[in-house]
Amino acid sequence: MKTIEVKKPSGYATQIGPAHPALKEPVMFSLDIEGERIKKVDFVPGMAHRGVEWMGMRRNCIQTMYLAERICGICGITHSISFSRAVEQIAQIQVPVRAHYIRSIVGELERIHSHLLWAGVAAHELGFDSAFYLAWRVRENVMDLLEYLTGNRVHYAIIQIGGVRRDIVPDQFPRIEESMKFFEDAYAKLAAVFLDDTTVQMRCRGCGVLTYDEARELCPVGPTARASGIKKDVRIDHAYAAYGDIELEYQTPDLLTGEVRGDVYDRIITRLLEVKQSIGIVRQLLAMLPDGPLLAIPKPAVLLAKLKGAAGEAVGRHEAPRGEVMHYVRLEAGKDEPAAWKVKASSYSNYLSWIPMMEGEQIADIPIIAASIDPCISCTDRVALVRPDSRQILTKEELHRLSVEKTRRIQASLVK
Amino acid sequence: MNATALLLTVAGTIGMALFGLFAGLWFTGIDRVLAARMQARIGPPVRQPFIDLSKLLVKQNVVPANAIPWLFNGAPLLALASAITILLYIPMAALPGLPVLGLQGDLVLIMYLLLIPGLAMVAGGLASGSPYATIGAQREMVTMIAYELPLASTVIAFAWKLAQMNVANPFSLSTLAATPIWTLVGPVGFMGLLLLLATMILVVPGELGRIPFDAPEAETEIAGGLLVEYSGRNFALFSLSLAVKTIVVTSLLVALFFPWNLTDFVAISCCPYLASAANAAFFLLKLFVVLFFSVTLVRISVARFRITQVVDVYWKVLGALSIVGLLLVMVDAYVR
Amino acid sequence: MPFPMVPELLGSLFKKPNTNPFPAPQLPPTVTGLLEQVGQGKAQLNPPVAVPPKLRGKMTYNRETCIGCKLCLKVCPAHAIDFIEGAKKIRIFVSQCIQCGQCTEICPKNCLALSDEFLNANHDRYADALIVD
Repeated sequence: MKTIEVKKPSGYATQIGPAHPALKEPVMFSLDIEGERIKKVDFVPGMAHRGVEWMGMRRNCIQTMYLAERICGICGITHSISFSRAVEQIAQIQVPVRAHYIRSIVGELERIHSHLLWAGVAAHELGFDSAFYLAWRVRENVMDLLEYLTGNRVHYAIIQIGGVRRDIVPDQFPRIEESMKFFEDAYAKLAAVFLDDTTVQMRCRGCGVLTYDEARELCPVGPTARASGIKKDVRIDHAYAAYGDIELEYQTPDLLTGEVRGDVYDRIITRLLEVKQSIGIVRQLLAMLPDGPLLAIPKPAVLLAKLKGAAGEAVGRHEAPRGEVMHYVRLEAGKDEPAAWKVKASSYSNYLSWIPMMEGEQIADIPIIAASIDPCISCTDRVALVRPDSRQILTKEELHRLSVEKTRRIQASLVK
Repeated sequence: MNATALLLTVAGTIGMALFGLFAGLWFTGIDRVLAARMQARIGPPVRQPFIDLSKLLVKQNVVPANAIPWLFNGAPLLALASAITILLYIPMAALPGLPVLGLQGDLVLIMYLLLIPGLAMVAGGLASGSPYATIGAQREMVTMIAYELPLASTVIAFAWKLAQMNVANPFSLSTLAATPIWTLVGPVGFMGLLLLLATMILVVPGELGRIPFDAPEAETEIAGGLLVEYSGRNFALFSLSLAVKTIVVTSLLVALFFPWNLTDFVAISCCPYLASAANAAFFLLKLFVVLFFSVTLVRISVARFRITQVVDVYWKVLGALSIVGLLLVMVDAYVR
Repeated sequence: MPFPMVPELLGSLFKKPNTNPFPAPQLPPTVTGLLEQVGQGKAQLNPPVAVPPKLRGKMTYNRETCIGCKLCLKVCPAHAIDFIEGAKKIRIFVSQCIQCGQCTEICPKNCLALSDEFLNANHDRYADALIVD
């Protein structure tokens, strides 16, 4: 009798998520594990989908601005800036220079805020709660500063199509400088705690590696790419707002340690270096702040009328704390609402780098690796379809097919 | 055993159990408040563990569908009972009547008994029917195997030294309490004992499942690990067993390394019970100091280790240090 | 320094905690009991952290000057403004309002403004305190 070889499946399959203490937002990782080693990982996003683009296409552009800001709490202004850049390109509105500077200053303050938040979350994933509290205590300072400048700690509502809604007056400069000094002192403490601590080094060095070649293939953006040595930054490559007026350097880990390994530790280094860079940028821009109007079209009613008559399509980009954010907007003449609005959040480009990072690592490292790309799943989830009668999670093949169909539809409508 | 002795033993057991529970919960509360203040927070009131306990006791006790009910419900009881049992063998502050079962038990018995709460947690975890609990149970078993090495080296060092000095019952804790080990060794042995003390201070967080050795219960990795399916009364019993185990392990450390009493330094002879009360208070103070340095300060200063790093630290680093300590104690006897 | 957090932790032990104990440092036995005591003057609530000027808080509305032009409705992102047909005035639902202040900018009569009131929590979405008219 012929014996049949049955390959016993080794290991077991488990999943982390969608709801899990390691994840700040719902995403599902399905893992094939042997002992404590991960053999295969796949992830299923789409659980934080809220229909933001659908809502945006039923509101006029000024209303959609605030909706865009609420795509994310941590990187709210990046979505506002991207959206307004897209609309300004279509309607051919020239933003005054002072407004550009204020946008950049608030954008950099938000970067400091976001990186400090991330540092705290990463420390919490490692079980290092004291560093979590320390980073968030420092972050309270930038939130108070943003509240002082814009009127709210999150969702600053400072961007308007054609400029900014609030000014930064010289009376406010001393308060900003006070904060920058605080951050410089705090930076030394944070760098010591996050980079010199023995246990952090033991956990993060050599863990979750994304090599330069893997990064070239998968095209991540932001600190995830820069930590692997890829020199990519929208503020330098395609300078916009006030970034063209200052000298910026790509923040890669070799600026601190002299070498690039692309592991979690390198990502910590990259983000800390970016905080330092942002402090410098805010100071520079504040010193160079030119006089001038704040809005290209001061009266909102006039702005609405102009936007109603605008037609065309454009892409607005911004270097968010997580990488490049793109908003595609298409306006049609005679309609208040955008005819099309597509958001490509930065985490969308970074997701796929999870797979090479996690394979071969232990379960214990999943939270810190997941957190190391700074995922903002609320920004990213535009891909689940919920029809009234059925629920459907789209697979990659279906998504690709739908995306190609949509491109064909958009191209066809342009030809018309 | 005649009737009065039996009655006294039972009363002593109940007393020790109550002491273990109350003192354990109080010290847990103090640990939480101190940790909070060190992290620049206000923290909960000191009696928070009691509030948590009363809340847990009124919550629903959920037994998962694919758990093994008798083991799932029995494991917390076993953990608590075994933790209280160990308390009956540890001398505390030369108070009359303690340890309750003193003459029958010794260090080797305590080492065996210390395994039981951990094994009960492992059994409970494996009986939970959840993959997270299974991973947690595996990690707890590995952690227990890991910290046995430094613990055993310490016990061997003590017993060897006492046997070498021809002290009767070298493994007995009462003997150890009566003869502080530091007085028996010279400078070389002193270094050895310091190394053993350092390793034992780091064995305590492993025994109690605190950071950096809390891989079995890692909250952010496996959502609570072994205890993920436990709720209500069962979870309350596990928390109590952890509180009692805190008292057990710190008392053990104090009994081994710091067995002095207040009356050894300060003569208190005015009232009959003042001496005992002072000794008891001094004992609690010693427990607090050990708890602060081994649990509170350590758990807020560092990140959590992976399970492979737990084994590395306990075997390679602390194991090596403890063996060196043991050898130094042995060498000391021949040098003098 | 292999464990840089330790000096920071030991130092914090002797400093005041960073937490602002608003409204009370610990949870009271019952919240309603504490509020009653405050009402009777027997207990005090700690104040919140001071807010900056121009904080974007609860809406205020000057009914007399409003002309009912409906421009604010056009521009409200949250659809928080209700138009009252007969009186030609508006009503703002604070529970829906996102406090962006866009309506204050477009109003031709400047009858809308954002105050700095932020303690607006309430059990009832449509409580009187949460409807501005």
